[in-house]
Amino acid sequence: MKRSTRPSIAYVLDPRFPGGTSSAVAAELDVVAPLGHVAVHGLSSAMFKGQIAAPQLQETLTRLDLALIWDAKEIAADIVIFHNPSCLRFQQELDVKIITPHLVVVAHENFLRPGGAEAFDVATCLGMIEQSSFASKRTLAPISAWNRKTIAQWQETQKALDRWSVLDVDWFNICDFPLVEPVAAPKDRRGRHSRPGLEKFPQQQVMEQCFPAHAEANILLGADAFVNDPQTPAHWELYPFRSISVEAYFEMIDFMIYFTAPTFRESYGRVLAEAVAAGKLTISDPETASAFGGAVQAASPEEVDGIIQSCIADPSTYRAKISAAQRALEQFSPSAFATRFTTIFATEMSMGK
Amino acid sequence: MIFLCAGERSERTFDALLLLAVQLDRAGYAVGIDASFLPDDAPRYQKFEAAMYLCDAADVTPAIILMIGADSIADDVKLALRALPGTADTAVYGLGRFATHQMLLSAQNTLAYAVGRDVEVIDLTLWQGDTSLIEDSILPLVTSILPSPNPSRTQRPKVLVYAPHDSLQQDAVLPELLAMSHSGAFDLQIVTSGQGKDFIRRSSYAYLSVFGYSELPPSGLLSYADIVAFFGPNVPGARMAQLAMEAMGAGKVVIDCTEDSSFIDAGAPLLDGPASLLSFASYLEGVVLPHRAEIGRRIQQSPWLAKFDLAHLERQIGLTRPAAAPAPASKTGSTLFFPTNGSGLGHAQRCALIAAEVSPDHSTRFAAFPSCVDMLKNRGFDCLPMVQRSEEFAEEFANDLVNYRRLSSLMAPGDQLVFDGGYVFDSIYRVISASQTPAIWIRRGLWQAGQIHPNALEREHIFSKVIVPTEAFEELNAVYSRGEQVHHVGPVVNTTTSDTDRATLRARLSALFERPFETLVVSMLGGGVASDRSVQTQMLCSTLERRSDCLHLVVAWPNAVVPDGYYGWKNTRVVQTQNTLDLCRAADLTVSAAGYNSFHELLYAAVPTLFIPQSAPYLDDQERRARAASERGLAGLVLESELMSLGREVNAVLDGGKAAEFAAAHTEITLPDIGNKAAAALIETGAGQ
Repeated sequence: MKRSTRPSIAYVLDPRFPGGTSSAVAAELDVVAPLGHVAVHGLSSAMFKGQIAAPQLQETLTRLDLALIWDAKEIAADIVIFHNPSCLRFQQELDVKIITPHLVVVAHENFLRPGGAEAFDVATCLGMIEQSSFASKRTLAPISAWNRKTIAQWQETQKALDRWSVLDVDWFNICDFPLVEPVAAPKDRRGRHSRPGLEKFPQQQVMEQCFPAHAEANILLGADAFVNDPQTPAHWELYPFRSISVEAYFEMIDFMIYFTAPTFRESYGRVLAEAVAAGKLTISDPETASAFGGAVQAASPEEVDGIIQSCIADPSTYRAKISAAQRALEQFSPSAFATRFTTIFATEMSMGK
Repeated sequence: MIFLCAGERSERTFDALLLLAVQLDRAGYAVGIDASFLPDDAPRYQKFEAAMYLCDAADVTPAIILMIGADSIADDVKLALRALPGTADTAVYGLGRFATHQMLLSAQNTLAYAVGRDVEVIDLTLWQGDTSLIEDSILPLVTSILPSPNPSRTQRPKVLVYAPHDSLQQDAVLPELLAMSHSGAFDLQIVTSGQGKDFIRRSSYAYLSVFGYSELPPSGLLSYADIVAFFGPNVPGARMAQLAMEAMGAGKVVIDCTEDSSFIDAGAPLLDGPASLLSFASYLEGVVLPHRAEIGRRIQQSPWLAKFDLAHLERQIGLTRPAAAPAPASKTGSTLFFPTNGSGLGHAQRCALIAAEVSPDHSTRFAAFPSCVDMLKNRGFDCLPMVQRSEEFAEEFANDLVNYRRLSSLMAPGDQLVFDGGYVFDSIYRVISASQTPAIWIRRGLWQAGQIHPNALEREHIFSKVIVPTEAFEELNAVYSRGEQVHHVGPVVNTTTSDTDRATLRARLSALFERPFETLVVSMLGGGVASDRSVQTQMLCSTLERRSDCLHLVVAWPNAVVPDGYYGWKNTRVVQTQNTLDLCRAADLTVSAAGYNSFHELLYAAVPTLFIPQSAPYLDDQERRARAASERGLAGLVLESELMSLGREVNAVLDGGKAAEFAAAHTEITLPDIGNKAAAALIETGAGQ
């Protein structure tokens, strides 16, 4: 029997990540599955004890007829792609042997916070992976320019990282959202959507600046923390995370305003790309916006009002901005990722030999 | 200011905040505790301890924000952290015990996300190690370590024994403690739970000196200890662990008598004492007392204790300890008199009489309730108003919390406090205990039978002197407590009158009230707060109305509420004055209550008097006092139940020659010397003398 020439590709992740990681991997599997023999290994990390696999990932696995193999003791493949090592942050050992010529660890999380503080115990997480893997080459794959920057800064302080190379192109998140036409004439209907952690929210003054009383609507989805806070302004319409569909949320807004705590930065922020695809003018701080190749408008909180007012005054500008933004999302398309993956695979495998 | 908060809100975490606040405060730092952490159902002791530190985040701009228990931050606290006080320059620190680096990072991130700027999280295990005296405590458990043991201020060492309720219940323990309390080798104080204290108070050993373990902060309890011993199954909670730490830091002897040797197992350098209280006295006398100083020194120098030195925390958060306040220039500072007001002005008047005899070289001032302030100022004393108890306050002790703060701010090093009152308020108790303020208690006697119980005297030990102004008649001078600290002085009496003779006074009154009179009667039956005497006053008005030549003056204190009915009588006038003695001297008859002050004033002035004693349960035994004078023929007595005889008694004095009988009796009796000057001299020599 002739040996298959299709490479074996093993995915390793904790499939219970509730947000962007699981969504990104789900989209990625759709692209990569046709390119090789794909196996998906689930880790029961301590981080998500008691939770179930993310529904978006489970749905993709079912559709692709891929089994989710839980907690294998041995994983061997031509290339092993370990998504989001931060899932190991709350444990001290990783009970698996990974045997591969090339281990790629896709970072997902920033290694450092703005200001330079460690975002999680990276050394311990990577150390566990290193201890558990028998690989000719270990590569860290940043998912965005900012993510790459934090990895580089962290590396400068860690000699152990000499044993890891860093991929010179980004392992970007695939954005394959259906594109929706912007409304003809926007209103001052603002919103933000995120998981409910406080890292996702700027300080109160900025929140009030971005979602002022004079706006026609201020829709905050994922605002669990503020629901019972007596200090919350009455003009904010609050929805706990997942309490309404994202589609219903987008129906209520024309502008997506997204700032985070100054001590936190998204490594990518799929929710922003999703908003662009949904036909919303999407505004964020310059560093966060930089991950989207022009699809997200960079601004300071002080500038938000002016941008919105000018769009309302000139709907054609609004529509033009969104059309341009949606075109910019093309660089994160499945086909773009397929090309990048194939290139990476070919290059890295040849280097790994 | 160092602004303290915690990772979660609970009584336990708030207690930890209090204990740390006291440590930092005593090290000289300005400290505030985020008031939002005060539990809704905080017990009384927490409210008192917190009173000095609570502040609203919106009202302060701290230099440092310090969160304890940062290893577990509740969601509501995270949200509240978004509104932390301070500026971008305010340093934020989290303190906790972290099993892994990731746990520390998680706490650091949580804080940084909520606060919106970088924070530093400090792992206590880095210098304290993994073992702690108490499991799962968020209390940082730090103490200042003095360079050498503080010398004891008393000849006999003070031994503080912690024993839980269960231990006290064991056979022969209370008799043994009683025997120890009579030891000539040491002074014994017991610390126990509220339940244990109640058990002792209800037993035959009720007069043992006992603290509830939350009655004072550990530093306050430590003021009463040179040696501390812990009995019971194990380390008895965070407060007692903190007490042990502070005792060790101060170079005191600390003995682990727990059944599990829990302190020693945790590595603490305590002496290994007997687990039975029955063996403790001989162990103490045979092993500890001969080597007390050396034991204390070795404990203080222990490497284990060094790990809990407050200095580590100070270094970590960049604190520089403020220089200690300079010692007072003179040995004796100011004397602050704080009279309670009970139902009238008696305590304040008595204090004023004594203070008036204190040398002008000795600074005196007053803190008093509003009803006394004018009287004291009129007599030339500075006086800060205190807050009187009121039904309108949410809690019965709310006024005392404010008074605690005011008193604390009034007292400077070297000052002494003189308290006159029956019940030692928490404010007094805590102010004196907190900084070992020299304190004197002026405590008149003649308690009613129901008032004589151990609780009334349990706080006496905080006073280094007790001045007992005696009664004029010996049978009234019961002894409630003994000891070298108790000083009996003669009756404290106002004998100051104007130089005006009686005839001139009467003439002036006649002119003032625009009516000639032959008979002058003064009645002083009180404002009705303690006992309602309006019926007796009306009866007097009615009796005296039948006389054509009579002026009846009803004396009321300034600001007192006077019943309308007093104004309808032809012969009666209401006089609001504090200067009663001249009026009484001018009168043919005074009808008076028999409170300590007025009784002795009238007695020493030999004024013809009918006493109508007041009888509220919290007053002194006025009936016994009045009866003692009546039985000697010095005055008349009309009890509350003898209303109908009041008219007869009045007429007997005014018309029947009874006034002459009183005068004759006065010529036969020798009253004791008054004690105003003796009391003043005791105060001048100082509480510490």
